Amino acid sequence: MSTAMTPYIVTFLLAILTGTLADNVILSRFYGICSFIGVGNKVKSAVSMGVAVSFVIILSSLICWPIYYFILTPLNIPFMDTLTYILVIASLVQVVGLFIKKYSPTLYKSFGIYLPLITTNCAVLGVVQSNTDTGISLGQSMGANFGMSMANAIGTSLGFVLVIFIFACIRERLEDADSPKPFRGVAIALVTAAIMAMAFMGLMGIGS
Amino acid sequence: MPLWLNWVLAILTLVILLTIFIVSFVLYKKTPPPKGCEHLGQSEENCSKCDQHGCHLNLYYNGKKDEKKTEPVFDKDLENKENKK
Repeated sequence: MSTAMTPYIVTFLLAILTGTLADNVILSRFYGICSFIGVGNKVKSAVSMGVAVSFVIILSSLICWPIYYFILTPLNIPFMDTLTYILVIASLVQVVGLFIKKYSPTLYKSFGIYLPLITTNCAVLGVVQSNTDTGISLGQSMGANFGMSMANAIGTSLGFVLVIFIFACIRERLEDADSPKPFRGVAIALVTAAIMAMAFMGLMGIGS
Repeated sequence: MPLWLNWVLAILTLVILLTIFIVSFVLYKKTPPPKGCEHLGQSEENCSKCDQHGCHLNLYYNGKKDEKKTEPVFDKDLENKENKK
């Protein structure tokens, strides 16, 4: 590996770390709260949902970045970005679901019913939007910007899976706990989420 | 580039993307689900008949609901112990 590449790799890894811990998509940016609360009550379903969301986030980032810079910007219609991303994500989810339905019954069984829900998950749209909103800074090449976008997508995905997994583990334990009656269910889940958000606040500053 | 051309291109992009979405949606709906996955989802009726307690879709996941019914009430246990003392 050449020494010229080292700063890029360090920046790439730091961007992943930041997206995962310091700038967590759920606990810091508050995206994807609906699936976090709705599906995060059982570990198995939470992990399935996390993996499905991660897959769509990475794939849509991979597709939407070139669409923005090679189609929308040259045609002078960058104002169409949000509408384009929504339709791309929705189509992508359908196509991925189609392939899973057709070729992998096991995968369909584990996250088949969660896949259509991802279309309405704002975490996916939020990541794709933030990838292009930052723009290309002075002196940065297109390739480097694309790399950072992908690092953001990977970091966000890892952060989503990590947080939803921890949350589901805590909620499974809380089901058996002798918590006061008014706190049972969603109330204790929200308290847990708040405490988790405070815990993740302690990680701010990593990667900066 | 004239302004009207921008709007035409924007509408064209939208139409193309909508067409892709509609085609993928129709294909997804037309594809039959794999065998055994026809009625995936939580329902009291299906889950109570199902023996697969390890299934994450099952309402009686890991038999937790059944466990709760026979769960000892800790407060009463404590009271009994205190009474014995």
